Amino acid sequence: MSRPDWIVLVLTLLAIIAYGLYKSRTSRDLDGYILSNRMVPWYMVLLGIMGTQASAVTFLSAPGQAFTDGMRFVQYYFGLPLAMIVVCASFVPVFRRLKVYTAYEFLEQRFDLKTRALTSFLFLVQRGVSTGISIAAPSIILSSLLGWNILWTNIFMGGLLIIYTVSGGAKAVAYTQQLQMIIIFSGLAIAGYMVIHKLPQGVGLREVLHIGGKAGKLNIITTGFRKGGGFDWNDRYNLLSGIIGGFFLQLSYFGADQSQVGRYLTARSLTESRLGLLLNGLVKVPMQFLILLLGVMVFAFYQYNPRPVFFNRAQVESLSHSKYKDSLAVLMARYAAGEKERLGAVGDPGIRAVELARAQEGDRATVKRWLDDPAVGGDSNDTNYIFLRFVTDYLPVGLIGLLIAVIVLAAWGSIAATLNSLASCTIVDFHRRFARKALRPEQEYRMSRWYTLLWGVFCVAMAQLAYNIGNSLIEAVNVLGSLFYGVILGVFLVAFFRRRTGGRAVFISAVVVEIGVIVLGVLGKRGIVPLGFLWYNVVGAVGVVVLSEVLQVCFGRTGDVSKANRNQEVG
Amino acid sequence: MEREQDPEERAPLFGKWSYWYMLVAGFLLLCIGFFYFLTKHFS
Repeated sequence: MSRPDWIVLVLTLLAIIAYGLYKSRTSRDLDGYILSNRMVPWYMVLLGIMGTQASAVTFLSAPGQAFTDGMRFVQYYFGLPLAMIVVCASFVPVFRRLKVYTAYEFLEQRFDLKTRALTSFLFLVQRGVSTGISIAAPSIILSSLLGWNILWTNIFMGGLLIIYTVSGGAKAVAYTQQLQMIIIFSGLAIAGYMVIHKLPQGVGLREVLHIGGKAGKLNIITTGFRKGGGFDWNDRYNLLSGIIGGFFLQLSYFGADQSQVGRYLTARSLTESRLGLLLNGLVKVPMQFLILLLGVMVFAFYQYNPRPVFFNRAQVESLSHSKYKDSLAVLMARYAAGEKERLGAVGDPGIRAVELARAQEGDRATVKRWLDDPAVGGDSNDTNYIFLRFVTDYLPVGLIGLLIAVIVLAAWGSIAATLNSLASCTIVDFHRRFARKALRPEQEYRMSRWYTLLWGVFCVAMAQLAYNIGNSLIEAVNVLGSLFYGVILGVFLVAFFRRRTGGRAVFISAVVVEIGVIVLGVLGKRGIVPLGFLWYNVVGAVGVVVLSEVLQVCFGRTGDVSKANRNQEVG
Repeated sequence: MEREQDPEERAPLFGKWSYWYMLVAGFLLLCIGFFYFLTKHFS
């Protein structure tokens, strides 16, 4: 990276840290530190929700996903607007009326302490580990592409934000997310403009769509039904899995995950919480569509420009030191000549250009096969490298620094909110709840800061561990959320919609179904039960609702309904 | 389940939250329709 790029990157990140510290002043108690004194306006709630959900991988992965697999990934978000409606109608009013700090606090009032502790614990485990991975994933990509040291990249990606998150809590998180989202949207808009600008004369957005369509990249809506066969349950992204599976996943994420609940509970009023969530329901799907479209634009760009044989430079470098080094040299020479010929044939109405492109695909497949060789131990998936490789190869100096900053800021926004929520749950659901002596507000404030720092260090350490273990862990953790979310959502669904079901029935159901979902995940990984991971959310949530209902019948209708439930009915 | 209705809470623009919910669901349908058109037209 050039010096001007470094200057842009460092200045942008320093500006965010300085702004976060400047906005750090809150009242020295839990209300100020965790909920920003409930003074955040709706537009900051909206940007906070979006900034928390959109991690660095969102911006790295999505364009690459569209480049390789097409735009069908957008269907993953179809359940989100519907989930926003349910969260606004059912979850937010109750959370706000009970003035809870965490979503799980409500479960003790509705059921009992053990159900609260279980769900909060599941959240802490799942979020703590997955946040480590969400630091590691972009760090591996940046360090690989730019040759940075992985430990320093992890600290850069997950450590610097700890400064303002510890200092200012939810308020600093909300204000920095606002600025981060503005920079992210501006950076992506400039990148989109630059792709179109770099296309040959006479090739515009309409032609990009035609190229994408011809190459099968505009497969935005897919039904998931096989030709002449039934529904493919293993297909990850289609209309049905997006609406149903996505709905359960997003409902769980926004209704029962503290990293999101903590954002909208900071709002000034119920109205502003709802407004932020519903506007997120309006803008999220078009936003993801545009990010994916960027991938199709990059795909069209490479039809007119030389495309690397493999987008991850470091992996090709590793092949050049393996037993394939001679074959690689031959392949690279042939590929370079092939690209030259292919580009010369662009616009050829005959089939020559198609044949040439197919021959190039063959060479790319060969490189991937070599990387899959256990003797090489490489990573044959370069999807996440496509967009950044385009940025570093083709965008002008200065803009590269800005787009690297966009990736880092996306990571910061998401991780900062998560650290704040992990600290909130630790202090509210465990420390304060189980402490023998009540803490003074000032002590709770100081403890919360310590917990934020500890979770920050834990997540960076987790990221380093993930790097050392390798890709298998990262892939496993990609579906980790869906293994836990369904069950947590099931507990909340029973709490909100099944008044007569008590704590004992729901607790046993949660434990049993969680074990079942994990077993399902293991069987799915081994190909014994082929089921796309979005469906785990449905299985977990429905499983808890049904099993708790059955158990409640066995326990007897009146025996186990909690006192808090009766209070809720009254109050 | 209890649905809290704050007597002072009025949904902005439309007065009722149910209209907001219809707007969000309707917009999703519109997006799906538009995406379906793009899929069919350009494939």
